[in-house]
Amino acid sequence: MSTILTHIAITDGKVKRSSLEVLSHCKTIGDAAGLSVEAVVIDENAASFVEGIQKYGAAKVHVVEHPVFKNHMNAPLLKALAAVMNQVSPSVFAFASTEGTKDILGALAANQNAAVIADVASFELIDGGVKAKRPVMAAKIMNNTEAKSEKVIVSVRSGSYDLVESPADADVVHVDFNIDDSEIKATLREIISAAGDTIDLNEAEAIVAAGRGVKDDEGKALIAELARTLNAGIGASRALTESGVYDPSLQIGQTGKVVSPQLYIAVGISGAIQHVAGMANSKVIVAINKDPDAPIFEVADYGIVGDLYKILPPFIEEIKKIKG
Amino acid sequence: MKFYICIKMVPDVYAPIQIKEGELIMDTDRMVLNAYDASAIEEALVLKEKHGVEVEVVCIGPAKASETIRKALAMGADKATHILSSGDKEYDSASYAKILSAFFTGKEYDILALGKQSQDTDSGLAGSMVAEHLGLPYTTNAVGLEVEGNKLIVKRQGDTGQEMIELPTPCAVTCSNDMNNPRIPNLKGIMASKRKPIDQVAISSLGIDEAALSADTKVVSYEEKPARQAGKKYEGEPEEIARQVAQLLDTEANAL
Repeated sequence: MSTILTHIAITDGKVKRSSLEVLSHCKTIGDAAGLSVEAVVIDENAASFVEGIQKYGAAKVHVVEHPVFKNHMNAPLLKALAAVMNQVSPSVFAFASTEGTKDILGALAANQNAAVIADVASFELIDGGVKAKRPVMAAKIMNNTEAKSEKVIVSVRSGSYDLVESPADADVVHVDFNIDDSEIKATLREIISAAGDTIDLNEAEAIVAAGRGVKDDEGKALIAELARTLNAGIGASRALTESGVYDPSLQIGQTGKVVSPQLYIAVGISGAIQHVAGMANSKVIVAINKDPDAPIFEVADYGIVGDLYKILPPFIEEIKKIKG
Repeated sequence: MKFYICIKMVPDVYAPIQIKEGELIMDTDRMVLNAYDASAIEEALVLKEKHGVEVEVVCIGPAKASETIRKALAMGADKATHILSSGDKEYDSASYAKILSAFFTGKEYDILALGKQSQDTDSGLAGSMVAEHLGLPYTTNAVGLEVEGNKLIVKRQGDTGQEMIELPTPCAVTCSNDMNNPRIPNLKGIMASKRKPIDQVAISSLGIDEAALSADTKVVSYEEKPARQAGKKYEGEPEEIARQVAQLLDTEANAL
């Protein structure tokens, strides 16, 4: 029986929700097509994540455990993924489109002589391969791309699918893995982390995003308070990450993170097309901007026209009241 | 030390577009240098000014792409290679990677730099494909480059923060447009670019059959994005509208 394999990404010791979204989708389409639905997890503590993965219906979980996977490095990750592909021979191998995935996707496809479609909004199985929808032209339109090959690799944008639990007793397959230092030609000197315990934007249920209208520490404090009140992640437009007001890892948009939370509050963001490309799939969008003609209002469900410094204090107070 | 920057001519994504019967129609045929590639050139030029590295560009594209190549030369690249395509069909990432890999095989270089993705298709695959084909250590999504001796030091944006990666040369790197603002060519640069050499290379001379490319993935049609309806705009007394929308988020949108 042919296999549909899902890569389960681990970041900071946690399973990426977006990987489980992809697994949920693979379970649905794999069952319908009579494929074996399997998962692979690669981490220094890979085995500890098996239980969490089983909830989403994988029949087999391939486990690659090695200390080298403590931090993301493309050479060992590629070697492990290629080894698993050689062993499992999946007809489809699906990834969540994380930065780690983007770092290896092309190389893995080249290594495996597989067809690849990156960063899709949805995909389905067709005869001989996969058909996917991808946002293109700065996410203004979608294209339908078909990949036909014995092996197809696909990466999926976060928030594209809902989590669906379907517990299964998965077989656990431990994959032998060894790597020699000489095979890792790159050296990871250090990781400069963003602000410690901040909420991962790809996983956040709610996001408060700051734009050019947020001018000073007072504005930043208001953003932080609104985010705290909503238990939201903080994001920023390119203007504010470029000028150093916010950390570059918080940039939302075509070149930064693409997010799709339940609630997105754009504060002082005009809504340039590159920014909208990164957030237009959010469930509910609120925009606060003093320019009534700002393009952000074209995608907002709730547009508040006004000075964010005057809007945010009563807005935060009211939300606190509602949340009790 | 020698940098090769792989550049691409892409449609201007900000120009108006239409879709007719599944076909993408650009209202203008304005083509531009891919913004991510421009950042790669800029970063190499800064290293040229600092350390005297050589900067060459290579571009796969139809005859019209010579304009894009001239721009790179006008920015300050030393010389260029134009790998001429017929322009008859769209290549997928794997095809670009195969052609580039064939071109670089047997060439002398220290660093291959590419934009991390093309601004029209946003696939972001070709860079790591080229690295894999050529067996080069590589990294992607660079937000800063520095040269130390014969090593390339890359600051890249990863999932958990910025990673500082040291790569031995030869190596490959893909560049984000977050690392710099590419220079606009000045008149002197534009004049100088006209005297800089552009080698023309035929794809067939690289041992590649153009007809056999892009067999694995195909764009079959384009469609409009499901439009997001603009909701309601609230204007008036800040205190009042702020509280009103907060209430609606709870009672109407069920989003709190």
